Amino acid sequence: MFGILVLFLLQFVNVKVLVGGLTGSAALWSLNLIDVFAYLESFSASRVFTKEAFFAVVAVSALYLIFGRAFCGWVCPMDFLYEMVDKAKKRGASAFEKVSAKIPPGTGYVIAAFLLFVSWLLGVPFFSNYVSHLTNFFRAVTGVVSLGLGLPVDRDVVIYSVSVILFLLLFEFFFPRLWCRALCPVGKVYGLFNKVSLLRLGFVEGRQCGECMLCDQTCYMKVKIAMHVDKSSLRDTNCIYCGRCAEGCETKGRLIKFKLWR
Amino acid sequence: MSVSGGLVLTSGLLVPDRSVLHAAKEEFEGPLPDIDIGGIIRPPGALPEKEFRARCVSCGACVNACHVMKYDAIAVSGLKDLTNFGTPYIKDMRDFPCALCMECPPLCPTGALKPLPKEKVSMGTALIDFSLCFGWNGDVCLSCSKACPLGATVFDFYNGEWGNQPYINEGCVGCGLCVKYCPIGGSAIKVVTKKKYDSLKGSYKAGFKSLLSMKSEERYNIVYGQNLPKIMERGRLVEREYR
Ligand code: SF4
Ligand code: SF4
Ligand code: SF4
Ligand code: SF4
Repeated sequence: MFGILVLFLLQFVNVKVLVGGLTGSAALWSLNLIDVFAYLESFSASRVFTKEAFFAVVAVSALYLIFGRAFCGWVCPMDFLYEMVDKAKKRGASAFEKVSAKIPPGTGYVIAAFLLFVSWLLGVPFFSNYVSHLTNFFRAVTGVVSLGLGLPVDRDVVIYSVSVILFLLLFEFFFPRLWCRALCPVGKVYGLFNKVSLLRLGFVEGRQCGECMLCDQTCYMKVKIAMHVDKSSLRDTNCIYCGRCAEGCETKGRLIKFKLWR
Repeated sequence: MSVSGGLVLTSGLLVPDRSVLHAAKEEFEGPLPDIDIGGIIRPPGALPEKEFRARCVSCGACVNACHVMKYDAIAVSGLKDLTNFGTPYIKDMRDFPCALCMECPPLCPTGALKPLPKEKVSMGTALIDFSLCFGWNGDVCLSCSKACPLGATVFDFYNGEWGNQPYINEGCVGCGLCVKYCPIGGSAIKVVTKKKYDSLKGSYKAGFKSLLSMKSEERYNIVYGQNLPKIMERGRLVEREYR
């Protein structure tokens, strides 16, 4: 899961594989890519159709029509950072976690719609410019590298971006995965791809489920898995295809499987 | 955020603050101190300001593309200008001008930057401070015209008894390479936005005309009485360190 982030880091030693960040980038110096929510914001703010942006979003959509919300489990830097926070933290549910469990996953759609409205109102892609974890993560990394090399950089941007990321990590400490599960508009949009993507969760036919519920417990996105084992596949908008449930299952991966295509 | 001795605190790390060290080397006031640059100078190919702002999602592809090209001209705008926060701009033309390599516009995923030929770029317009330029004060230099990627189409030359006098015409696209290679301490050239240029071109051109038609004696007094002392003071930095 490190792979893509490392490819992005190569740009600081002048390698042209992936240039930019996860809000938008260029692959191999030629293929433009833009995050789907960032595209929607840019479109809503400018109210004009741009073919450059359209091609960029088509390329990304094609990718996630195959892999669904795998973006969150395999590409997004926050998943990686959150995992470290989760590991550093002692187990045991706190009062905060109970609150966070009550917030429904649908909240993210309301947030996404509200942000698109704000962008339209201000004529500025608001979330992507100011708040986005993706923008701020890459801005922080670029900023720190630039400061180190003595390149022109506005220091307050670096401080701001580092603070946003630190804030999100603190938030994760108190409300584990609340951001990913219920709030993040980027993830919610990729979640919609789960409904039609080629990749989905599948269950091996004829294999017995012991109803130990280990899968539901390991899933930090709180997807209800066990109750679907008699169906051929599961398309939950919150599934990020991390594969924990398959590993957690008492059959050790023999019941729950990734299903691609068929 | 400065701690001491040119160190800054960045996410808990003490990093040598080279921009401070650098600023110490270039301690001179910039050219045309009474004229501000009139806003924000965008990377080449940027749409008109409002449309640019509506499209740019701060992805940083242009910033990083410029770094990969080793020009490092593009920085990200800070909190002093909240409406433009997080968007790319050309921060420091004295050391990191845009080289008009034109690699960034095609990489912009939102179309906020559009590919176009270099001659059509319109980032700004360069103005020469005639009171600082070697060429207007009895010397030969023309470093600016040699550095300019558009060269002779942008420069008019008025050679005469007062020196090799360069004038930058309206073909200038505002990349700032001339700003960097001007050997005067603090540079004798300033790039202002196109909008700013439109508002002050009347007075700038009038000043230029009156300089051309000035009587020898009067010119002599200005050059020897005012300009040369100013230039000599800054000229110590002729051997500045290029980055
Ligand atoms: S044209 Fe080249 S040098 Fe100029 S801003 Fe773009 S990448 Fe940088
Ligand atoms: S590449 Fe385009 S969208 Fe991205 S920061 Fe630069 S101008 Fe903005
Ligand atoms: S005159 Fe200066 S700013 Fe204008 S195009 Fe030439 S080098 Fe660039
Ligand atoms: S480089 Fe500077 S001093 Fe030399 S001619 Fe140009 S403006 Fe004048």
